[in-house]
Amino acid sequence: MSKQVKEQGSIPVSKVQRAAKFISTGAKVGGNYVKHYAKKMVNPSLNREELHQNNATDIYNSLSELKGSALKVAQMMSMDKNLLPRAYQDKFTMAQYSAPPLSYPLVVKTFQKHFQKTPEQLFDTFTRSAVNAASIGQVHQATAKGKTFAVKIQYPGIADSVSSDLRLVRPFALRLLNMNEKELDHYMSEVEERLLEETDYNLEIARSREISEACAHIPNIRFPKYYDALSSERIITMDWIAGKHIKEWMETNPSQALRNQVGQALWDFYHHQVHNLKQVHADPHPGNFIIQEDGTLGIIDFGCVKVIPEDFYQGYFALIKRELVMNPAELDQIFYELEFISDKDTEEEKIYFKGVFAEMISLLGQPFHVDRFDFADDSYFEKIFMLGDRISNDKMFRSSRQARGSKHGLYINRTYFGLYNLLNQLKAEVDTTKPDWLK
Amino acid sequence: METATLKKTSKKDYRQLIVEGFVAHVLEHGKEPASIFKFAKDLKIKEEEVYNYFTSFESVKSAIWVALFEETQRQLEEQEVYKEYSVREKFLAFLYTWIEELKKNRSYLLCLYQDKSSTFKSLPKDTRDFKEKFSDFASELVMEGKETQEIASRPFISEKYDEALWMQVGFVFRYWMDDRSPRFEKTDAAIEKSVNLAFDLMGKSALDSFLDFAKFLYQPK
Repeated sequence: MSKQVKEQGSIPVSKVQRAAKFISTGAKVGGNYVKHYAKKMVNPSLNREELHQNNATDIYNSLSELKGSALKVAQMMSMDKNLLPRAYQDKFTMAQYSAPPLSYPLVVKTFQKHFQKTPEQLFDTFTRSAVNAASIGQVHQATAKGKTFAVKIQYPGIADSVSSDLRLVRPFALRLLNMNEKELDHYMSEVEERLLEETDYNLEIARSREISEACAHIPNIRFPKYYDALSSERIITMDWIAGKHIKEWMETNPSQALRNQVGQALWDFYHHQVHNLKQVHADPHPGNFIIQEDGTLGIIDFGCVKVIPEDFYQGYFALIKRELVMNPAELDQIFYELEFISDKDTEEEKIYFKGVFAEMISLLGQPFHVDRFDFADDSYFEKIFMLGDRISNDKMFRSSRQARGSKHGLYINRTYFGLYNLLNQLKAEVDTTKPDWLK
Repeated sequence: METATLKKTSKKDYRQLIVEGFVAHVLEHGKEPASIFKFAKDLKIKEEEVYNYFTSFESVKSAIWVALFEETQRQLEEQEVYKEYSVREKFLAFLYTWIEELKKNRSYLLCLYQDKSSTFKSLPKDTRDFKEKFSDFASELVMEGKETQEIASRPFISEKYDEALWMQVGFVFRYWMDDRSPRFEKTDAAIEKSVNLAFDLMGKSALDSFLDFAKFLYQPK
């Protein structure tokens, strides 16, 4: 973009404020460690859980104030249940919900810039305040000619701030994920790429259409229609999908059959994308799914779409084949390809990590090993968390500063963790279909 | 000059002619005309005629600033929703609309005010009338804010709030002059964030409670 080096007198205020925010968080987190060790001197039995809790609160607070891409990173982290201690996750999951809104005059201004008209001139009604916060924008409800629309408006300057925000998040990510800088950048570049795509609303509309059409045949799924005349680089207008988010819907005590129906729709939707389209809606957080009265599932927000490269696809899904766990030579090969282990590892490390990943994969692949899987089974998720906690607390694992796993896996893992999680929330039992070559 | 108020040119409207002629000259030559004499000659009117309306180029420039401000206000009044805005939103709306007006005249403004060293002296002079009008507008906002409790009354400081808002206008102007982002989106973000900060500072905050508490402790028991 045409950003030029600015004079000293005019550092972008937003950036300074952002940096200041992170510095104050850093100070707080530092303070938490001091407090923790002080308490620990008095009470040696104290565990780190409370410390994590305090850190999570402070980090979350500052991230949610920053909005934009930092919030997105918080979302990412909240998805990766395996990597973070539990206390971080609970707080980070909150980041998916609310964040401070855009003022109405700015909404008006954005409309004027793109359509030369105010929202009132374009629609019959338009809500003054946002009805929903999206991670890089907010959603207003509007009506015109008897139809109801959801209008998503992007924060100004977000596209420009993605890269600088990520640089600000880096020290925290380094600390939390215990990686060296080079390895972290390997992942960060992937995240940055996705985030930049997400700020491109024209791309989002094109992809939404493409995927909606390709998935139109799946039963019990609904996609909103998108309106080009009322959309631009910073504004997306689509049908309003009335209904409830999973959490609220579950409070209405839906029947098991209905829950299975929704869960199955969700599974089929992902199955078709991953195995047939090879590109996937990689943002399976609860806010993007709306369950309608009749139990059809509305799917919105195609901002984050991951295209799955063919060779990664082959390797990744070959792992969930059941027998493969038994075949060491083939397994080694795939582990190398997916960058779980590399030549930089010592023999001891190789053996250790192969063991860890084999265990992880056989656990995560469990739904694929049977024809029908009950995601209501909390003990299964408990097992995953326990494994995650155990591994991340393991000395061997912590001391390895290598990044492990292909960067493509970042979003695919996130997608599957998200999907499992949603199905667990739904307490659904679904037919876990798989493509023929995996049977 | 595209500004709507300045557009209504009738043949006899010399004031209008002079303002437009001045802007055109600045845009084409990148600087002010050499003298009123030369300027009048180019416009094919008598020098005395110019003095009937403006006695210096400074007053022409000042009139342009005021016209921009008045056009902004006119547009704000046109928006139905403006009346329902809170004070914070009103000020935001003012800045957003004002910047849009400035955008229509960006080349003219850049020609005159890009050079920081000379602007340092000329800008305050050129904007004196604009500032006066703005101050009326700002004090009204501050009064309304005090009524609606959006702005806390504090001794001494709160009388200076309109000054603070004026400084913010200056900040936004300078930021916008240097803004290189597409569609000046960074300026929008700067407005949003700086106004929120300003109103958070002017609103009742922990500081007030702290001062109140400190006063209480200071009192003899």
